[in-house]
Amino acid sequence: MADVFAVASKEFSDIVRSKRFIILIVIFGLVMTIAMAAIYIQVIQAMSSLPEVPMPQAFLGMMALILSGTLSSFAPVMGVALGCDTISGEREKGTLKIVLAQPVYRDTVINGKFLAAASAVSLATLITSLASVGISIIIIGVTPTAGEAIRMALFLLFSVLFTMTYYGISTFLSTILKKTSQSVILSVVVWAVFTFVISIIASLVAITISRPTFMTGQPSDEESIRRFTAIVEAISSVSPNYHFSKIGQYLLSPYSPTAPQEEASIMSSLMYAGPNILVLVIVTALVFILSYITFTRQEVR
Amino acid sequence: MEHVIETNELTKVYGSGREAVTAVDHIDLRIEEGTIYGILGPNGAGKTTLIMMLTGLVLPSSGSAKVLGHDILKDSLQIRRRVGLLPEGFGFYDHLTAEQNLDYIATLNDVPKAEQEKIVDEALKAVALEEFRDRKVGAFSRGMKQRLGIAQTLIKDPELLIFDEPTAGVDPEGAKVFNDLISKLNGQGKTILICTHLLREVGPLCTHVAIMNRGEFAVQGRIGEIVETMIDEEGYRIEVGIKGDAEAFAKELRSLPEITGLEVKGGNISVRATDDVRANIIRIASKKEVEVLSIRRLEPSLEDIFMKALSKGRQEG
Repeated sequence: MADVFAVASKEFSDIVRSKRFIILIVIFGLVMTIAMAAIYIQVIQAMSSLPEVPMPQAFLGMMALILSGTLSSFAPVMGVALGCDTISGEREKGTLKIVLAQPVYRDTVINGKFLAAASAVSLATLITSLASVGISIIIIGVTPTAGEAIRMALFLLFSVLFTMTYYGISTFLSTILKKTSQSVILSVVVWAVFTFVISIIASLVAITISRPTFMTGQPSDEESIRRFTAIVEAISSVSPNYHFSKIGQYLLSPYSPTAPQEEASIMSSLMYAGPNILVLVIVTALVFILSYITFTRQEVR
Repeated sequence: MEHVIETNELTKVYGSGREAVTAVDHIDLRIEEGTIYGILGPNGAGKTTLIMMLTGLVLPSSGSAKVLGHDILKDSLQIRRRVGLLPEGFGFYDHLTAEQNLDYIATLNDVPKAEQEKIVDEALKAVALEEFRDRKVGAFSRGMKQRLGIAQTLIKDPELLIFDEPTAGVDPEGAKVFNDLISKLNGQGKTILICTHLLREVGPLCTHVAIMNRGEFAVQGRIGEIVETMIDEEGYRIEVGIKGDAEAFAKELRSLPEITGLEVKGGNISVRATDDVRANIIRIASKKEVEVLSIRRLEPSLEDIFMKALSKGRQEG
């Protein structure tokens, strides 16, 4: 019986040779370059107006902003782009019938696709991030320390997980919907809800419930802000984007969130990010299991 | 004799309640080794659902079936290992070449890498596509894709081949390649099941047929036996060409007790009879000094059987 690697190998080759994947990498690279250039110009301007301001000494401080911002926008796009036709595309083209007419278990097919997508996403993230880091080392002239490099590597690993969350959601939609066009539309709607709508709703609900003093023009009090933030965060936690940005905050900032003056160890940063990592793992596993169950029970007609 | 395919009351109902549609209705099918079995029927008769159940791609609602001795519910993977299936509406990866597509199929069938090239070569040759091996499938015509579809069924050297509408959309050359290939494969001892609504193209190949309509088999069996049954039911049809007074000759023929119907068109007389009365007709002709130019018994064609089965189904429905 064909193993999952036979399917994964073919799928991986298809993905990395596809125009879609190459375009995504080029766009990602361009976005990273533009973001780096923007920050570099800001630093240069700051230096020229205030000559005593030195170039940022911490490499991570510079890269964190770029990577975290770019990947939080780019990762869902990549996940949706790769996952939206995982099953529906094969169904529409009739290739699913030919593949399933062979002695393969359906879980082999879906596992192989998932493995191939994870490998391709890792490759894309690695290539573009390493290129960006390399360029920034050359431009800024600051080399990351071993600790910074480990934090970056961990962050990239969780970026792959975040991308796979969206890939999983998109794959699930492509499994239950008949047409790829439907799957694309719904995937984009889900992305828009998690990226924009939830945060807007969270703010509106928080304002309505907590009635913060800063909204009424009165001097803001700490309790009001705390309540407002707690509500916003509670509602936003529905979105995988929230958890990814939290992971970025904890991992890319070397300072302890509870004691901002102290530098946190990598392990303690991971501990702080633990619940958010767990949520992303659970959501990814859940959508994958749902896709798996749906696909293995579907009839080929 | 062990049957290659054996079904018992196999049934498939899609949907439930008022929406329920019975696609396959209590089908009993026995296919012997080495036969070319045609399941003929109009679109929507349930042919595709039946073969999808036989290969484990659609689960039956009730009944049971065995293919090559394997239960369709418990052992569908073994069935797909030994059965070459060409499903209707299949597709290939357009961005890959014909050879790359077949290589992938070979990998899924666990064909060792060392043998892969030879097996793919042979499959491409069998469908006359060897010179297009490096061409991307996206550039193939529909007929070429259909031939490649047949080639993929040969990769696993199957004991049973199942083709769903194999000649739909295929040009006459493609249809000939298919017919020749079927005869060759059958000559090698392979059992072949063909589902189609194009009975003129595929029908003549079959040793056995089943006419399927509305999920049921209206008729099934060896073609010769079906013809005999139809003759028993409908009588003999004899066509006589004469030179002379056809009306007067027809009047004489009507006196024969075996003749149940008669029609005159110019010098041609069509006779329906309960027995083969050709000798009697010639005797009467010589007695009446009518010159018989031709006389032949018309056997029911597959098309006649098909149309009769469908009209019977409509009347019952």
